[in-house]
Amino acid sequence: MADISVPEPFPISQIANRFLIFDVDAVTYARREHNITGVLVGTIAHMSQQNVFLGIPLELMPEEARLLVEQGHAYIADDVDVHNKGFLEMNREDRLAFLQAMDKQGMDAALNNQKKAEERSEKALQRKGLARKVQENAARRASEALESSSAATPTDAEADTSLFDSPPRSASPAISQAPNGLDPFFVTPTTSYPRLPTPPISPTTPLPHVPRTYPLFAYLHSKGYFMTPGLRFGCNYTVYPGDPLRFHSHFLATGLDWDEEFDLLDIVGGGRLGTGVKKAYMIGGADTSTNDVSDKGSGRRTEDGVRAFSIEWAGL
Amino acid sequence: MATTAATSLPTPSPLTKFFSSNPTSNPLQTLALQIQHNLTHQHAWTAIRLHTHSTITNTPLPRPLLSGLPPLRLYTHPDEQVQLLKEAEARRKAGRTKQAEKHTDAQEETDGAEPEGLDVQAEPEREWVLPTRLSERWSLKRLAEVFDAIELSPPPGAEHGADEEEGSKWRTTKRVVLATVDSDSTVVYYIVHDGVVKPRQN
Repeated sequence: MADISVPEPFPISQIANRFLIFDVDAVTYARREHNITGVLVGTIAHMSQQNVFLGIPLELMPEEARLLVEQGHAYIADDVDVHNKGFLEMNREDRLAFLQAMDKQGMDAALNNQKKAEERSEKALQRKGLARKVQENAARRASEALESSSAATPTDAEADTSLFDSPPRSASPAISQAPNGLDPFFVTPTTSYPRLPTPPISPTTPLPHVPRTYPLFAYLHSKGYFMTPGLRFGCNYTVYPGDPLRFHSHFLATGLDWDEEFDLLDIVGGGRLGTGVKKAYMIGGADTSTNDVSDKGSGRRTEDGVRAFSIEWAGL
Repeated sequence: MATTAATSLPTPSPLTKFFSSNPTSNPLQTLALQIQHNLTHQHAWTAIRLHTHSTITNTPLPRPLLSGLPPLRLYTHPDEQVQLLKEAEARRKAGRTKQAEKHTDAQEETDGAEPEGLDVQAEPEREWVLPTRLSERWSLKRLAEVFDAIELSPPPGAEHGADEEEGSKWRTTKRVVLATVDSDSTVVYYIVHDGVVKPRQN
């Protein structure tokens, strides 16, 4: 497994109050180094029903984004603003360079595609025992290429050594014609960076707004647990002792305020459901009362004042 | 017919008799008595005691608690369970080799007589019980107050010696059996741990 390292802090794109990571390396890095899994939400543009295997971007819960920002591993970038400024106010030279680069990418893709098609047809011909035809084809193509490339750049002697060299680029941003009459593909870039410079860190960006369950989230995260959304089990977080790809979850956690009242029926229901799926139900929250009796509390009060209770069916 | 029904009431239920033999004005203590009755007669618990004062500070508890001894071990921490299973497996192997030495020529007989399951030996431990009603509303704060007032293990009952404390090596977090009674007198029992305790692998 390749070691992936991302310079910290890395940007988290905020778009319409959702927190997204578009960089695959950052996604991997956050998961490996910071126990942040998020949820992959990307799908194929024209086949959104094909949603079994989702890809980037990774959507983070506000809790996850806030935790990364608070611990200094990431920062929030207002992506709409960055794009408006970056692309609408781009100067002419940058724009031309951008279009040219896109053009080159498109031509490379087209050439690659053509090469593969030829290889396929040669293989098919060879299988049918038409090796002579293959040679004829190759010779014909070589001479064609020589003609066209000598026509395009008559002084360039290297053109005939390789069939599929990148064609020379013209300075014009208009779609350039390849020597062999190939049209470049139209490339839609999947990321805006590095085309745009990495968005600046703005100290005025507010921290992500988190629900009142955040103290429990941060507490469990500090103990090395992984959290994923808990809707499937009717709780706030499903808590895993390691990477969710390797472990079953241990807890169904619900965060509460210290003085918030709950029905005992919720405890019974959560405990019963949790035990039924070999998990424990957990309730917890930040102790907001005064901490002056900390010597008395042999209880599990942590430095961030969070206390949690695990509930299991007694089996009676 | 109607007059006889009015004059002779049916005999009181065992629970009612139990209440009248332990008169109290505190409804929470009545609730505790009801749980005690249920534990004694439906779950064969023994040595049940009612606690109204904290064993740590000797101040009144936020609400009365029970402690008692279940007939079988009620809770085994998953790590302890792994240890117990290892020990049981070692015992079974030792027993098998001993038997093999004794009856070298009667192999089929020993195989047939050997029990299939592992004989896990876990002594029952005394447990705290927190009696509640389903109609109550609780908060984290009140739950924390209950835990702050109790020790790790309940004080041993009078009929047991000090040897009961042996199994407490694995008992590292406080736990309470939450007994919740509904208005139809159904009682459900849930174990509540004070802290993050991984679940049992049943």
